[in-house]
Amino acid sequence: MSQISGQELNRNRVVDWALMVYIVLAYAFVFAPIAASFVFSFNSDRFPSIPLGDFSLEWYRAVAADPLVWQGLTNTLVIGVVVGVVSTALGFGAAYTDYRYKFMGKQVYLALALLPPTIPVIILGLAMLAYLSRIDLSGRAISVIISHVVVCAPFAMAIIRLRLSQMDPALEPAAWNLGASEWATMRHVIIPFTKPAIFGALFITMAVSFDEFAVAWFVSGLNETLPVKVLGFLQGQVSPRINAIGTFVFVTSMTLVILAQILLSGRTAAPRSSTVDKE
Amino acid sequence: MQRHVSLYGLTFSLPLLIWQLLFFVFPLAFLVALSFWTVKNFAMRPDFDTVNWVTMFSRPVFWQAYGTTFALAGGAALLTSVLAFPCSYAIAFKLSDTARRWAVFLMVIPFFTSYLVRVYSWQIFLSDNGIFNVMLGWIGLGPFGMLNTVGATMVGYLTLSFPLVVLLQLFSLVFIDRTLIEAAHNMRCGRLRTVFEVVIPSARVGLTIAALFCFILTFGDFVSPVYLGGGDPTTLSILITDTTKSGQQWPRAAVIALTMIATLLVVAFLAVRFAYKGRSK
Amino acid sequence: MQRDTLVSFEGVVKRFGTFVAVQKMDFEIRKGEFLAIMGSSGCGKTTTLRMLAGLEAPSEGTIRLSGKPINHLPTWERDTPMVWQSLALFPFLNVRENVEFALKMRGVGKAERRRRAEQWLDRMQILEFAERNIAQLSGGQRQRVALARSLVVEPEILLLDEPLSALDAALKVRMQAVLKNLQRETGITFVYVTHSQSEAFSMADRVVIMSRGRIEQIGSPQEIYGAPRTRFVADFLGSSNIFTGPVTATSGQGLEISTKDGPVRLAGPVAAMPGQGAEATITVLDTKTHLSVARPEGDVNVLPVRVIGEEFIGATATIYAETDSGHEIKVQKSHDELASLPISAGQPLFAWWSPSDSHHVGAA
Repeated sequence: MSQISGQELNRNRVVDWALMVYIVLAYAFVFAPIAASFVFSFNSDRFPSIPLGDFSLEWYRAVAADPLVWQGLTNTLVIGVVVGVVSTALGFGAAYTDYRYKFMGKQVYLALALLPPTIPVIILGLAMLAYLSRIDLSGRAISVIISHVVVCAPFAMAIIRLRLSQMDPALEPAAWNLGASEWATMRHVIIPFTKPAIFGALFITMAVSFDEFAVAWFVSGLNETLPVKVLGFLQGQVSPRINAIGTFVFVTSMTLVILAQILLSGRTAAPRSSTVDKE
Repeated sequence: MQRHVSLYGLTFSLPLLIWQLLFFVFPLAFLVALSFWTVKNFAMRPDFDTVNWVTMFSRPVFWQAYGTTFALAGGAALLTSVLAFPCSYAIAFKLSDTARRWAVFLMVIPFFTSYLVRVYSWQIFLSDNGIFNVMLGWIGLGPFGMLNTVGATMVGYLTLSFPLVVLLQLFSLVFIDRTLIEAAHNMRCGRLRTVFEVVIPSARVGLTIAALFCFILTFGDFVSPVYLGGGDPTTLSILITDTTKSGQQWPRAAVIALTMIATLLVVAFLAVRFAYKGRSK
Repeated sequence: MQRDTLVSFEGVVKRFGTFVAVQKMDFEIRKGEFLAIMGSSGCGKTTTLRMLAGLEAPSEGTIRLSGKPINHLPTWERDTPMVWQSLALFPFLNVRENVEFALKMRGVGKAERRRRAEQWLDRMQILEFAERNIAQLSGGQRQRVALARSLVVEPEILLLDEPLSALDAALKVRMQAVLKNLQRETGITFVYVTHSQSEAFSMADRVVIMSRGRIEQIGSPQEIYGAPRTRFVADFLGSSNIFTGPVTATSGQGLEISTKDGPVRLAGPVAAMPGQGAEATITVLDTKTHLSVARPEGDVNVLPVRVIGEEFIGATATIYAETDSGHEIKVQKSHDELASLPISAGQPLFAWWSPSDSHHVGAA
């Protein structure tokens, strides 16, 4: 969008300047806790505050020496990867279903596919705990996986659905028309086209699972994930060790989210069509 | 020929349906059943008794927590919307396309990074010997007890919902037809007045939905009220965790949870009605 | 069935819910012809093509390809490649891989695939772009890739769904020539759907005109232009003045109808002569209609009109005028022919033409 001279004319420097300052302050507020966690994880003081103490890696050493942290990390990573793969697969199926088919009760289907993240995690956690312990699935790693997929699949669905809506609606029938069966078209056309979104969804769902603590806390039992461990720390003691863990958590999920965003913002100059009517 | 049920189609549509039925719908349905169960000698028994509902609803503690939670979430929705709007507005109308993409890119990151750790980090700023009090000390003020206050809870709520609210507001603002704004200027509608007379009404749907999401997020949150608010006043989420983790009072926790869901449904319904009021969809 | 019939539609109906997109369609496509299906949007032309391609199943009737019914053959088991309006090139494949796609799906080996793809790329004069991404090509080059991708399997029939609609005027004309030559050289039957009269008439051997799911007329461009068979076709082509009224006289040499603005005559043989008093419609091409200041003499149809305005299209101009009853008359002339006429809004003139230039079309 090019700036229109009329807009230029109607600008007020003071107002613009104030708004820019406001943006900076807003981002400062949003990133302050992340930055603080990072800075104080390298700070020698027992109680984090300013002025800063000496540079130190002791909190990282302390965390690394704690076998419970390693166990939590392993649990988190394993669960995150499984949840990412399963939710992306389920989300892909749902996104494709929405893209391709019209059927009775589609609204209900879409509600099931998209609503779970709007249910407060505390309620979901309680419902999961009660239900899973009833069917003898609580207190295990699988319980966390099951619950996280419920919450994560909708994110994958949304991301992949968005990508499908960027696809020329004639692409799939064009492949059929050239002799590709539905399965072959899925493999040679739909999946290659949605690949960036598939990986984007994989990373985002892994990040969501990685950071999710409330449901995990309810249903995990002894198989605590790292965030649940943090929750434990918070309840027990105030320790800069949390900053070390927190920095690790931030770096991991930020990496995943940044990767996902890079994948999803990649533009393909696919010729778009809005005219082919698909009844 | 595309509408017939085929193995191919079911392969993609069924897995999610089955999963969400088994692990989303059934658990919530079970929660409803659970709320009618009874607890004797720390053991739950399947039953159909309204005792949990009667007990919870007759407790002043419950209603106090309900009022507190509703007020806090409502306040957070209003406060976050008001604080986020200038930011979204500036990103939408004052930044170049490239800068706007970066702004969105950066705002998405915190939305997906550990809320729990971010809340913990606020303690570094807000505690009695924290950064804010040290800084205030330099100019001879304080120290103030900032932690364990409603204000601190609000800071936590903002941490939780500010990025999402900015993104949702932004999404509705960038779709406003710029010529509407120019037309308003052209008709001698002042800058600030244009914001209230043109921009906000045009983006009403997005702004309302953003506030609704903030309400939903904060209404169910227990991290901020516990770790920044100090657990006082008690919110419904704290009540649920306490009821669940202490003893076998899951049926009562279910009553609280269901009341919360009902509340959220009503609020969501009203918000959507307000958002689309006088519009043909 | 004729020997040279490639495709036949026999009583084909297509319904979407309660909406009837194609009603009772019977027609044949001849081997090796360039057939254009023309009509405005929603007339059922694209649905007809999609049924032939196997992308929609007919609700009733039979479609035969080389005599065999193909109704229930899915599109990937038919050899009816299509060139799409959006071209539908695969953005994640390069030019060569796009062209190879259909061969790959048919299990053709790698080397053979490459050879045949490059042969067609060469033929379409885009071999040098073989390893490029689709996004790097111009509109005309993409067009050629789309053609090569469909033709690489050397089908008997090629379906084209408004493939030129996105191109600018000059490129459109150039591609029309490419298509026409390609069709002539390969002898492949082309079925070309378009809403553009100039595309259809300049390329096709035969044109099918459709309206509201029905075929209005099939014939060569000359036949249709010179003698629209129905009122709709005359209206749609937009190059005729149309008069409707009750028949007042008939004879072996023609007929006369009465309109609000006076009698209109036709001289010449009439295929299905309407009865006395029945509604009949007579048309005359705008290029065969004349204007003059003085009332013309002789055996002609004459209508007094007033000028509404004029429209310039290149070397010709179209004068719009109306009769006293408000009936619109258009006259197309070169600028030279118009130089002597006073053309300003409201100017009274006489519109006239020879009754032998009149045509009779089916009523209504």
